[in-house]
Amino acid sequence: MNRLKSFTLAAFVVFVSTGFLIPPQTASAASAALSIVPKKNYVIEPGKSLNDKLVIRNIDSTQPLQLTMRVVDFTYTDDGGTPKLMLAEDAPQTTWSMKPFLTLPETVDIPANGSKSIDMNVNIPKRQGAGSYYSAIVYSSGAPEGGNVGLSASGVTLVFASIPGNVKEDLKLEKFGAYVDGKNGAKPSYKYFTTEKPKQMAYTLKNNGNVTEAPSGSIVIKHMFGPEIRVDDVNPNQSLALIGQTRTYAACIKLKEQQVSFNNSTTEAKTCDEPTLWPGYYGASLNLFYGQNGNKTQEIISSGGFWYLPWWFVITFVIVLLIASFFIWRVVRNVRARLYGPKTQKIRRRR
Amino acid sequence: MDHKLRRFHIHVATWHHVWSEAALCLFLVLFILVSPASAAMRFQERSLYVKDNEPGVITSYTVSFRYMSPQMISSVDLLFCNDPIPYHECVTPAGFDASNAQLTNQLGETGFSILNKSTNHIVLSRPPTAITSATSSYTFDNIKNPTDQSQAFSVRLRSHSTTNASGPQVDFGSIRAQVQSGVVIQTQVPPMLIFCVAERVEDNCAGTNEKYYSDLGELDTRSTLNAQSQMAVGTNASGGFAITANGSTMSAGTSVIEPINQLSESKVGSDQFGINLVENTVPAVGKNPEGDWTNAVASPDYSIPDRYKYKAGDVVAFSPNVSLMKKFTVSYIVNSSQSLRPGVYSTTLTYIASGRF
Repeated sequence: MNRLKSFTLAAFVVFVSTGFLIPPQTASAASAALSIVPKKNYVIEPGKSLNDKLVIRNIDSTQPLQLTMRVVDFTYTDDGGTPKLMLAEDAPQTTWSMKPFLTLPETVDIPANGSKSIDMNVNIPKRQGAGSYYSAIVYSSGAPEGGNVGLSASGVTLVFASIPGNVKEDLKLEKFGAYVDGKNGAKPSYKYFTTEKPKQMAYTLKNNGNVTEAPSGSIVIKHMFGPEIRVDDVNPNQSLALIGQTRTYAACIKLKEQQVSFNNSTTEAKTCDEPTLWPGYYGASLNLFYGQNGNKTQEIISSGGFWYLPWWFVITFVIVLLIASFFIWRVVRNVRARLYGPKTQKIRRRR
Repeated sequence: MDHKLRRFHIHVATWHHVWSEAALCLFLVLFILVSPASAAMRFQERSLYVKDNEPGVITSYTVSFRYMSPQMISSVDLLFCNDPIPYHECVTPAGFDASNAQLTNQLGETGFSILNKSTNHIVLSRPPTAITSATSSYTFDNIKNPTDQSQAFSVRLRSHSTTNASGPQVDFGSIRAQVQSGVVIQTQVPPMLIFCVAERVEDNCAGTNEKYYSDLGELDTRSTLNAQSQMAVGTNASGGFAITANGSTMSAGTSVIEPINQLSESKVGSDQFGINLVENTVPAVGKNPEGDWTNAVASPDYSIPDRYKYKAGDVVAFSPNVSLMKKFTVSYIVNSSQSLRPGVYSTTLTYIASGRF
């Protein structure tokens, strides 16, 4: 009987020890493939609340997806539209933070190949001032165990809320001109002289207001001798200049729209096509409008230009110039010879 | 003939300085005397308040502006178009309808009534009256909002001295507006961002090899350790996506392997930890991005073969607009020096995919 007790106790100890000592392999048994909504926009009046749903899908067909969710603030990375997430736990809250207004569950489990709608509540206090507020919802998959380099995937939904009322709107134009792609994948830049055919026109705006802005308007470019080209939509993606951001907006001179199939649905993709540009000088004019509902519409007007001088044109021009110079030189020489006689040159040489 | 040419040359040469002065005077006279082509001025303090901003609803619009020219004004023309530029072709905002509009309130310059109206056009008219009150507003009921909230629309304004908005304009200007829904009711495919990470992933993220770590092996001062992982990403959002790499460099307790902060090649015998997203030969590791769609690319600092970098928070891949699924292979390299303390060095890198604003 005692032996049986000892055996049972030993088996129990081994069972418990095994449970504690062998590291769990949870990370390698969970999905890190997700589909989320990248951006949400709301208009909410002070004192009102709003319920919405965030749909998250587990793309992995065999493993469940375990996500933790948290709200972090973000700002801009550069003059583009990439958010800079403030991921540190002790990151100070920004003045435009939506953290106090957002309510979300902390975790979510989604079965393989399944999806879930997460309830989200946005509650704006009664005395909240008008303006733009924004934060990001970060969905993190579990941290893995084992190996030297562990891999973890996270998705982010950017949430923007606009609280209507009188707001401070102030966009200052900093640059406007032709925007040419850099070599070897480098960032595009403004060019006044370019040998590459520019596909885009761009303008840079500094947002000094207390709201995000999405300007609209048009650009007209005109060749020194040729017809004009109009860019009707200078902000086709409704891109935003965040509070305090200096944002560069690039618009295709010739836009190519095509229907593409994405994840069993059709979507419209816009890319820049090769425009028809002649070598020479192009004058450009920019006419921008911005303004929130009920606030003054503000207008930005600017003009500029650029030289498009491809190498083949420069070389041809130099050759033509040399030929013309040669013929002019010959004509001048002949005229001088006829006016002053062939001796003139010899006399000059002697002097 | 020679005689004539010589006389002409002598004559012209003595007058050449006079010509330049005369040309300069002529230019200045033209510059001062040429008047602007038009005397019309822009309305100031222009605004539009849409009472209910939901797409497609019937609501009231209050149009406000300040008259600038102190002249007789008998009509105001309001044209609703996508494009605010007055001389561009007017395309009516989708779903917009002002054909049942009623003028329910007016402040400032008053006495107007609706002379005629259509889907996107309202003409206000009154007997000829001089401007006395600069800032004015007009409220219209029963206007149906545009249905497209993806783009702004505008009101093109013109004032005329005639009662039917004909003849030359006195003042002009445009107002920008946009409808926006509190909660988007999805009538079409919503924007989505698909993202997956593992040692090996399928192109469409439908499956992975379920291994979420990479083994580099044992550190050696005479060779470079390397490994690779994959991630696939795609979005139908017009703003595109960005992927950042986050996490600290490799460490064992307090001892760390320095990350490569500036783009550099792999240097055997020095402490280095770096990544890139292209195919390399030194060491032979990695793959170029796979997928037809050219919008999605590796960031410039992470797209040069045999050059590595790691800076936490850096954008390693992005697309400025819609991008079909694209697969990136991340290469990791680790070099160690003799002075590196022995230990098990490891890190966890979190790849964060976000939309762009």
